[in-house]
Amino acid sequence: MRRRILGLVIAVVTVAGVAGCGSSSAGSDGSSSSEASGGSGTSQVKVGIIPIVDVAPLYLGQKKGFFSSRGIELKMESAQGGAAIIPGVVSGQFQFGFSNTTSLMLAQTQGVPIKSVVNGVASTGDTSADVSGVGVKKDSPIKSVKDLAGKTVAVNTLKNIGETTVRESVRQDGGDPSKVKFVELAFDQMPAALDAGQVDAAWMGEPALTIAKSQGARIVASPFAETDPSLTLATYFTTTKLAQDDPDLVKRFTEAMTESLEYASAHPEEARQTLTSYTKIDGDVLKDLTLPKWPTQVDMPSLEKLASLGEQDGIFGDRKPDLDALFS
Amino acid sequence: MTPPAPASVKTRPAGTGTGPGGALARLGPGGGAALRGLAGLAALVAVLEVLPHTGLVSADYLPPASETGRTLWHLLAEGAFWTALGDTLTGWGLGLAIAVVGGVVAGVAIGSVPVLRAATASTIEFLRPIPSVALIPVAVLLYGTDLRSVLLLVVYASFWQVLVQVLAGIHDVDPVAEDTARSYLLGGWGRMRYVMWPTALPYVMTGVRLASTVALVLAITAELVIGAPGLGREIAVAQTSGAVPRVYALVLVTGLLGVAVNLLARAVERRALHWHPSARREG
Repeated sequence: MRRRILGLVIAVVTVAGVAGCGSSSAGSDGSSSSEASGGSGTSQVKVGIIPIVDVAPLYLGQKKGFFSSRGIELKMESAQGGAAIIPGVVSGQFQFGFSNTTSLMLAQTQGVPIKSVVNGVASTGDTSADVSGVGVKKDSPIKSVKDLAGKTVAVNTLKNIGETTVRESVRQDGGDPSKVKFVELAFDQMPAALDAGQVDAAWMGEPALTIAKSQGARIVASPFAETDPSLTLATYFTTTKLAQDDPDLVKRFTEAMTESLEYASAHPEEARQTLTSYTKIDGDVLKDLTLPKWPTQVDMPSLEKLASLGEQDGIFGDRKPDLDALFS
Repeated sequence: MTPPAPASVKTRPAGTGTGPGGALARLGPGGGAALRGLAGLAALVAVLEVLPHTGLVSADYLPPASETGRTLWHLLAEGAFWTALGDTLTGWGLGLAIAVVGGVVAGVAIGSVPVLRAATASTIEFLRPIPSVALIPVAVLLYGTDLRSVLLLVVYASFWQVLVQVLAGIHDVDPVAEDTARSYLLGGWGRMRYVMWPTALPYVMTGVRLASTVALVLAITAELVIGAPGLGREIAVAQTSGAVPRVYALVLVTGLLGVAVNLLARAVERRALHWHPSARREG
């Protein structure tokens, strides 16, 4: 369902972009409202995010005043998945958005005018403790990730970062990645689906991963870390138009976000506690879940790897993402 | 002053007594039926309490009713919960009001001009079945994740419910009554007030009642899928956090809200139609 919506979104965004219908005027709306908010030079900035572990630095940075000290009044717009974030940013409802890197590449190849402005989150690089993992039932015959060939694996979104990196893990282990069957399921439903045997394996992110582990699931692969130990998973992005029209705002946001990422990396426990302010993750899970890495820079080689996996699996159609334009 | 008897009272309009509230309505004023209804509810709660303990379903995914109840109790103490409830009710109420006013005005305008009616019939039949949810990308593109997105979906879904009923109601006006009114030299306004409106009102009320339920479903769906503030978003956040009892507690709240909305709509309907034979029979 979510993917179908994303497809529609991309279609609508593309049409809107091509026709230039009103979205550009809405885009400048954001900056004009900042002028209206007072002569103090404070800009109200809306950031479209998903309320998950990955965006903890943003909330932490807001609390620490890294944004307000730069004249940015931050407002988080928590959306459900990229389906709402990308069109929200393109139409100027949000000035910035948070999205995984494969989705950004996908949007770019479809002609959506966006540009990444600062790093978001990266893999821990630790294959025994990463932010995503492929879990199987305790007594599953799947012993190694290559055994996934011919099996059903749940991912949260088809034809996206989960699918390409799980395939890569299977490939590296000597299995046949084309034989893996993927089905779409929301992360939060995966532990139950795994338990009930509806799927043979599930690729889960946090906190579903920790919940499944606590219920006895066995982790057979850590696709992100196995694809590239410093894989850049998601970044904050804006429209190419805002980047051009208001470079000062983008610069201030990037600086504030960079400081937030540094602070979160240096104070992981504070970042963990921040989760209680915008999620409902409870005690034990909160204590056990794996935090990602929050480097300040994107890792270009890892993104090239990710892009080539996407091309290999044909998720960009016959187009190639322009990584330099998107990420630098 | 009592309104004149409706020109045509042959049947109750289509859709009356159906819909999610049908079962509740059948409870009627009889205390015995209400008791049986409560007993059914108690049995459901008992099953939900026992089921997780039997191991048929894991308590991790379906917490016992007692735990859901406890979570609900804690929820009631949270300011954020009441804010979310307020947001949902705002989206529902505003959306419903816009849809009802728009539906009645458009319905009367289209219904009383035969040419307009013929010209719009196929367009209405084309637009009506489009699921509101399919408009989510458009809503987000236009309005982001705020209230206006919710309103777009709610109004779109509930507007047709009202419009179609209004059109049916106007179509049902007895031509003899209409001619009689003309013979008594009633003007356009008078015929609308004393002939058309009493005939159409039961239909309008049915439309309003159906729309009120649809509006609630769409308000919560919009919050759930788009992430607009409200109970739906609270459910989504609880889901992504793996807070299962909280999800069930919130779902329970939306269910109770649905019952309340239906009771309210029925009360309004009874009040507005107290003179109508169908209401008199019920009462």
